[in-house]
Amino acid sequence: MSSGQVRPRPAWPARALARGESLLSNAFGAATNPFHHLGALAIYCFYIALVTGIYLFVFYSTNLEGAWHSVEAITHEQWVIGGLIRSLHRYSSDAAVLLLALHMLRELVRMRHTGVRWFSWLTGMPLIWIVLIFGISGYWMVWDQLAAWVATASAQLLDWLPIFSDPMGSNFVSNETVSGRLFTLIGFIHLVGLPIVLVLGIWFHLLRVRYPRIHPPSKLMLGSLASLMVLSLIIPVTSHAPADLDAVPGVLAIDWFYLAVFPLQSVTSPGTIWLAGTTGTLLLAALPWILPRRRQPVAEVHLPDCTGCGFCAEDCPYGAIDMVPRTDGRNFELEAKVNASLCVSCGICTGSCPSSSPFRQRAPLTTGIELPHFTMDDFRTELDRARDTGQTGERILVFGCDHGVDVEKTETGTAHSMVLPCVGLLPPAGIDYALRNSGYAGVAIAGCADCDCHHRLGERWTQERIDRERPPGLRKRVPRERLFTYWGKPGQEKALSRRLAGFAAGLDQAATPEAPGSALRRTGT
Amino acid sequence: MKALAVAGQGLTWAVLATLIGLFGQGPSFSPYDPGQALIKVSMAHLSERLEPCRQLSAAERAELPPTRRVSEVCGRERAPTRFELMLDGELLVADAVDAAGLSDGGRAYYLEYFPVEPGRYTVTIRLADTPRTAGFDLEREMNLNLKAGESALIEIGDDGVSLETEESS
Repeated sequence: MSSGQVRPRPAWPARALARGESLLSNAFGAATNPFHHLGALAIYCFYIALVTGIYLFVFYSTNLEGAWHSVEAITHEQWVIGGLIRSLHRYSSDAAVLLLALHMLRELVRMRHTGVRWFSWLTGMPLIWIVLIFGISGYWMVWDQLAAWVATASAQLLDWLPIFSDPMGSNFVSNETVSGRLFTLIGFIHLVGLPIVLVLGIWFHLLRVRYPRIHPPSKLMLGSLASLMVLSLIIPVTSHAPADLDAVPGVLAIDWFYLAVFPLQSVTSPGTIWLAGTTGTLLLAALPWILPRRRQPVAEVHLPDCTGCGFCAEDCPYGAIDMVPRTDGRNFELEAKVNASLCVSCGICTGSCPSSSPFRQRAPLTTGIELPHFTMDDFRTELDRARDTGQTGERILVFGCDHGVDVEKTETGTAHSMVLPCVGLLPPAGIDYALRNSGYAGVAIAGCADCDCHHRLGERWTQERIDRERPPGLRKRVPRERLFTYWGKPGQEKALSRRLAGFAAGLDQAATPEAPGSALRRTGT
Repeated sequence: MKALAVAGQGLTWAVLATLIGLFGQGPSFSPYDPGQALIKVSMAHLSERLEPCRQLSAAERAELPPTRRVSEVCGRERAPTRFELMLDGELLVADAVDAAGLSDGGRAYYLEYFPVEPGRYTVTIRLADTPRTAGFDLEREMNLNLKAGESALIEIGDDGVSLETEESS
């Protein structure tokens, strides 16, 4: 069974990525798969850099003569602690770049940069520049040979722009031309200015994301911290010789995560770097419009069925629903209003609406809020058709979604499938109806993997509704042994089929749902 | 199965640490070929005005507001600074640098690094900072002895026209 709509299934790169990530889910568990928390892990690395940076600043001398010596003292004269903290500062910053790159690529491959998600994508672009400038400014502070070369090359890069009449690079032509106040300026930029700008940038990036995950699971925090600490102990970060602008820069150990731009500049020109940087950024920023996806119709509110309870507004992962004063004169204070520019047509609001019950005696069935291309009436009609054509009985009904496991591939003689835009659309009463009224032997729900729902919260809300931790909860009368949930990725169809076979085999011993009552017969309104 | 999962987790963190370890402090890069020396040319030079300053007549001064009665007026635009740098008679660089500023009224700035082979050089610098287009107003010649890894700074200032060289230690 399906809604008859053209389904936005994941393209092959997304399916390939999902297969690779499945391996990590096997090792870590889906809820703590590092690839499900890349953004949060990048922020966590920023925390590590922040805390270690505060420690380093306590011992750092912000002047020309003392900068290099103070860093050396931290590295070599504080037993293991200073060197470890310095290395952690460097490596956590490097990890942040790596994780940011993976985060961006992953969202791109999964096409989660298009549609209403353009805002998060676009506001992520400045973060790349901020993080890179943040890292580069940190390299100046060591004031070793690498720092001197980075300072000279950065100045050449900036001098290409028509900003300064007096070239900034003339400050670095010899040891005598470097001002001692440079370190006050760089210290301010690296320690105060850029952290504030970065926090503001992250805030903008998450502005349209409800319930953002900015803290990774503790398992991932501990694992990543431990790996960075081990790396810090095995390959501690050290400085080059003190900066000498009168000497020709020799062989430099480059941090390619931050400084790759400068070797590239050496073999090309500052103009090429600016051209590549701005063109690349603009192209990336324009991707949501260059590769747009066809938009599905947005959710619609049906005021006669809306009681203004606010569950839909609470559950919408994108903040696309506002509760506004009632406009139809009914004796409710509020009504739901959909902001079409924010709605991604996931249908999670339908699943949260208490009036989304197929048991209601109304034809056509309407509900407080639903998708015009996948209504509750369509839902009930599908179930009733299956019952009336004798396709239920011993069979299992498998609810799937557009982005998770392809449940249609699991259809066998013992299972039927119904694909929803997101399993979060499934109202708990729909599960009850499938068992009690349609006569299915069992219901399976196969949505996206834990913490990896394409629509962010569909799998979480569904599980919480089943567990009666979130309204509307699944009624107690529904025999839980006839309900099966599977949270997986595209490509895990065989695993789902095996689990479904086991579930079906166990149904013989499961309690039988109560016999349908009079509510099963619709009288129509 | 649990041991396999733990091994998988360990492998994941090891890959992360390896990637960071591999590219966080290397591979090394040399901005210049080993054994090279460097000549840095830095110029911040105020050239002559394109139009010479002109004394105002008494009538012209009388037309000005009392607080702005200056005795002479000067155009803001300055001539481009032309210069040539030769090493042992071979031209290394020749350029004409416009004066900075929206009205071309500031100094002419130039900064460039030239990697050279170490050795003894006769450096010749010619400079023209007047509106005329042919010939040079100044020519200086100096000897330079550069060892590998050393740099020399040639500064062209604007106290008249001053040339300085500085050998690194």
